[in-house]
Amino acid sequence: MSNLTTPAVVMGIGTGLTKLGFAGNDAPSYVFPTAIASRAANSGKPAPPSKPSFLGGSSGNSGSSGHLQSKRGTEDLDFFIGDEALDAANGQAYSLSYPIKHGQIENWDHMERFWENSIFKYLRCEPEDHYFLLTEPPLNAPENRENTAEIMFESFNCAGLYIAVQAVLALAASWTSSKVTDRSLTGTVIDSGDGVTHVIPVAEGYVIGSAIKNIPIAGRDITLFIQSLLRDRGEADTSLRTAEKIKQEFCYVVPDIVKEFNKFDREPEKFAQYIVETTRSKKIVDVGYERFLAPEIFFNPEIASSDFLTPLPTVVDNVIQAAPIDVRKGLYKNIVLSGGSTMFKDFGRRLQRDIKGIVNDRIATSEQLSHGTKSSGVEVEVISHKKQRHAVWFGGSLLAQTSEFNSYCHTKQDYDEYGPSIVRNFSLFNVP
Amino acid sequence: MLQLQSDNLLIKKTLTELIESPTSVDRIVSDFDYTTYHLSTPENKTKLLLSIGTKSWKDLDKYDVVGKLNAIYGQFQTDTVEPGYNYSIYLDLEEIATKSQDEQFEIIESLSLLKRNALAAPFESALEQYEKLNAEYQETGIEPSSNNSSIIEINYRDEESIYIKSSFDRVTVIFSTIFKDETDKIFGKVFLQEFVDARKRAVQNAPQVLYSHKEPPLEIRDLIKFSPNEQKGYVTFVLFPRHLVPQKKYNTISHIQLFRNYFHYHIKCSKAYMHSRMRFRVNQYLKVLNRAKPENEETVERKTATGRRFLER
Repeated sequence: MSNLTTPAVVMGIGTGLTKLGFAGNDAPSYVFPTAIASRAANSGKPAPPSKPSFLGGSSGNSGSSGHLQSKRGTEDLDFFIGDEALDAANGQAYSLSYPIKHGQIENWDHMERFWENSIFKYLRCEPEDHYFLLTEPPLNAPENRENTAEIMFESFNCAGLYIAVQAVLALAASWTSSKVTDRSLTGTVIDSGDGVTHVIPVAEGYVIGSAIKNIPIAGRDITLFIQSLLRDRGEADTSLRTAEKIKQEFCYVVPDIVKEFNKFDREPEKFAQYIVETTRSKKIVDVGYERFLAPEIFFNPEIASSDFLTPLPTVVDNVIQAAPIDVRKGLYKNIVLSGGSTMFKDFGRRLQRDIKGIVNDRIATSEQLSHGTKSSGVEVEVISHKKQRHAVWFGGSLLAQTSEFNSYCHTKQDYDEYGPSIVRNFSLFNVP
Repeated sequence: MLQLQSDNLLIKKTLTELIESPTSVDRIVSDFDYTTYHLSTPENKTKLLLSIGTKSWKDLDKYDVVGKLNAIYGQFQTDTVEPGYNYSIYLDLEEIATKSQDEQFEIIESLSLLKRNALAAPFESALEQYEKLNAEYQETGIEPSSNNSSIIEINYRDEESIYIKSSFDRVTVIFSTIFKDETDKIFGKVFLQEFVDARKRAVQNAPQVLYSHKEPPLEIRDLIKFSPNEQKGYVTFVLFPRHLVPQKKYNTISHIQLFRNYFHYHIKCSKAYMHSRMRFRVNQYLKVLNRAKPENEETVERKTATGRRFLER
């Protein structure tokens, strides 16, 4: 192993999307759905992997045909992943499955083949020559880590492996922001993807598991909210795609909705138009109040849902209050955004204002109660940066390109020596 | 996916995107056998520098790889080679964008085959030699002694090499292989046996494959200086004239240079397949075990360490 100058591979595998790429790059090379389409033998119950007939004594026809193809099946290689999987699943022959549910790997067979194809076909690298950095959700079971390591080391013989917690990588990604000066691994991560929003406190690289909170409001809910507004108005095109495009292109966060409503009424040019062009027709969809109302559901969830009513700033505050008291200041000072649904303009600013409001109220009350003691104040800072969308992947790329990265990995030799339990612990990146 | 493609998918995708909308990039792309590409825009958004660095360059250079690549990528040739890399191509994205769809596609396609074309250089020179010897034989009718034809050696990985030897009626390609893992060795043996047997069974047109463990084949015995390596195995492919006709040459070269990757890919695939069968079987056994559980477990009388009983209340 004299020559390991090859770039490390960074794989961020999420419930919805997989991000693949090489360390040192500024963006993932591939972003595609975590889906696999395999040949559907008999849908419904999981089909047993077919046994090659030369192994089975029971199947009678073995030996009768001497043809190579029939003797050794290649069905296990007949599958597609990512966008190709979605295309293939349109036909009859393939059935689609998503091997990851709620951030956890559910179907290891599919996952193993998903990796196989992403390494050899998409990234084109010999795993024996590369180090790998994988990501995992917070509170991932150690058994899952072990299973992952088993596959990575035993199937693929990868040279080295590091499994990092997504939230920690998101914190590392925020170091690119000019606001960050001290590069600490303490902070609160707000990770909002398509399905769910997590608020995760991290102290010195360790996730404070007991304080994590999930919010059932995320990208998809915003899209659905826009769609319902469009339907209410009876727009020409109210498809989910249109709603999603409007969300991405027009939405922003405002400090005060009442003022914004008035502004819209006074200045009609605030209303925008989105044009849906298909090959046959051209439809014009008006975009109105949803421009600022849609992201507002993070701050006033009652406008969209009836079962979850706590605004995001309150949740963040609760999470930090649930963390140990000695890290709370650090958590307030470094609130980091990650994921596509935090990309709205001025999202960070609004969040910072609201959290600050809550904190200042509390300080004022406690000062009043203690008769005259003055608080030194709590700094609240929400950090948004340019790499927010793929923050987790980018953080991984950032850490994996450092020269020390290889020494943090567990190598194949280590694995052979100690077995899968070795991956239960990874040394943390010490902060440069 | 049964076969590995020789083009680099990522290069293709990146170039297609960049031609459509040029942005400043600085990206690293990897390929098999310690090959690394670097895409960068040092001057401005539309001037792209594509560099390739590969481990075997030193050996490739002996067979005029630069000349051969220049013949293919002549229009994008640049004199300066990016430091740390072996060969650079300079693309003016604006100019390419003005070309027709088909032309663009062709350019991207050929660029994605950069590694294949680089590694093809020694193979091509071996094939030329074969053609020369063959022509000589056709003319004179005397078998030219193949001893004087030199053996091409490509050290494309740390401890593995490709050797190519051409004679008047065949080209012999020998891969030395080494397995880092014990399990891989077993799988590898089964696979190679399969390659050796393939000709006997079905595929008559396949090149002859020989496999020897530890002992280097006669052709390259002089080249192996050090004592026989316990770990090493040698796979020999004998390419016959029917593989070397002009219309098949290109395909032959593309496939044979990916042999090692193909081989290792399939070893890994079969391991994955084995794992899925093991998981299936374990699940079945677990089901059997669960069925064997008694439904109502009888209440066991519990005692303390000293033998006293708990009182019922």
